[in-house]
Amino acid sequence: MNELIKEGEGRRTHIKSPLMRESLMDRKVLAASDAQEVLPILPDVHVVHIGGASILDRGKAALVPLLDEVVRCRQTYKILLGVGGGARMRHTYHIALDLGIPTGGLAMVAGAVNEQNRFMVQALLAKHGGVVLHKDHYVVLPLWMAAGMIPILSGMPPYHYWEPPTGDRRVPHYREDFGLFMVSEVLGAASMIYVKDEDGLYTADPKTNPDATFIPHITAQELLTRNPPELIIDRSVIESMVFARNTRRIQIINGLKPELLGRALAGEPVGTVVTAPRDTTKEAADGC
Amino acid sequence: MAAETPARKTIPTPLRDGTLDAATLLEASQYGSPIRVLPEVNVVKVGGQSFFDRGRSAVWPLVEELARCAQSHQIILGMGGGTRSRHAYSIGLELGLPTGILAAIGASTALQNAHMMQMLMAKHGGILVSFEEFEKLPMYLRNGGIPIMVGMPPFHHWERPPEMGRIPANRTDAGVFLMAEFLGARSMIYVKDEDGLYTDDPKKNPDATFIPRITAQELLDMDPNDLVIERVVLGYLQKAHHVRSVQIVNGLKPGLLTRALAGEHVGTIIEAPLDP
Repeated sequence: MNELIKEGEGRRTHIKSPLMRESLMDRKVLAASDAQEVLPILPDVHVVHIGGASILDRGKAALVPLLDEVVRCRQTYKILLGVGGGARMRHTYHIALDLGIPTGGLAMVAGAVNEQNRFMVQALLAKHGGVVLHKDHYVVLPLWMAAGMIPILSGMPPYHYWEPPTGDRRVPHYREDFGLFMVSEVLGAASMIYVKDEDGLYTADPKTNPDATFIPHITAQELLTRNPPELIIDRSVIESMVFARNTRRIQIINGLKPELLGRALAGEPVGTVVTAPRDTTKEAADGC
Repeated sequence: MAAETPARKTIPTPLRDGTLDAATLLEASQYGSPIRVLPEVNVVKVGGQSFFDRGRSAVWPLVEELARCAQSHQIILGMGGGTRSRHAYSIGLELGLPTGILAAIGASTALQNAHMMQMLMAKHGGILVSFEEFEKLPMYLRNGGIPIMVGMPPFHHWERPPEMGRIPANRTDAGVFLMAEFLGARSMIYVKDEDGLYTDDPKKNPDATFIPRITAQELLDMDPNDLVIERVVLGYLQKAHHVRSVQIVNGLKPGLLTRALAGEHVGTIIEAPLDP
């Protein structure tokens, strides 16, 4: 079955496959690679990301009631927890920028802040099955899930020095919200829930603008078109949703109201739901 | 509610509050330009399907040329994958695997090629350098070593879904470019089996004409159906601080790599000139 194809002395040797000799930049080849359905790998896992500045930096009073709710919900739902960075990460960026460290270097050092937060959350959840999930241990997730554990992952994606350049902005584009989004996308997770300190998205920053009105549902496409100056979630998540194969719905909820987590896990819209319909005209008719 | 909300413990910085996505993030700050981490380094990417899969007759002469060049230039080699990556992608696609899994799978083929290249280059100082050893590059280079790395970026499961299809958009061309940009490298050279960029695939269309120099923007505007280099690299070139041009050279023609390392224009240069 695995046929070697020699093109002659000094020429290339191929293995017979539909992609053999094809350029992987050829749009016809790329379009054809889209024909099949994508396999959901762990479809009953829910990914819950706890914001750094929004929750963790508020300390015990915000974090402990939320983790109590996580433990309660774990009896019903398989949960994978992500943790963000927060104020120390912003300070890291500040010092690194001042030193002239390039974008890839910022991405490399920033993740340590997530790791601090991950250790803290793991210590709090240890007696309830909280375990640190290293990225190298990704493939043992099924074992931990079956054993009733709560894996805790640091949010930053492992782009490190390879973080794509961001021009004059210089701060990494792919940050913690995106890191957990990709976990949900690859696993084909049941839901992707972002726990922040606001009820969800507003037309402006509600912390500074009292006229801001709440947005219970919006499409990713519309959000990208509106391009609001303040967004409670990383823009890279919204950009990636449009091309996602699995995670085309996310929900942002208020972690200062911990009881909302259980309802969000049950699929209820209790914050802002962002969807990325493949056909925007159809979505408008369906609602969320 | 507001009165009982636990306060954020903050650290003041000159970075504006709110989202880090703001285009104006650094506007009010006084941060200087980013440094070049290893400014003398030349990153050379050896193509997988387009070079390494040709075997001994193509690779052995390149090994000798690289060894000679390394006596006067600091070189880091990045290795491509090739036909085995395609075979794996093809099966993975059929199985319905998501892009992130395909990216993790693709890296293994480039690692095989990096191992083989290291064995060939060992007597000339070839060292296999993993992502975890990246910070040791200065020591290897200072001792005259030739670091050899996997071209794929370490994105793995975190490779974002591409705009079209499911094959990872960031493969070995992108990985070596991002490494060169982070390092602030002196040059980024892609060794392929063609003289450079053509108006169409010269292996399939005999009427294709050669393009010696082009800007990333022109290439994006031309929007060719096919491209000799991964499309994402064009966008990266335009946002880069240091590596604003790359050269594609024909590794089957001995001496071209040497001349490219000397700064000569011997293949196709793709560039993103900075606004004056």
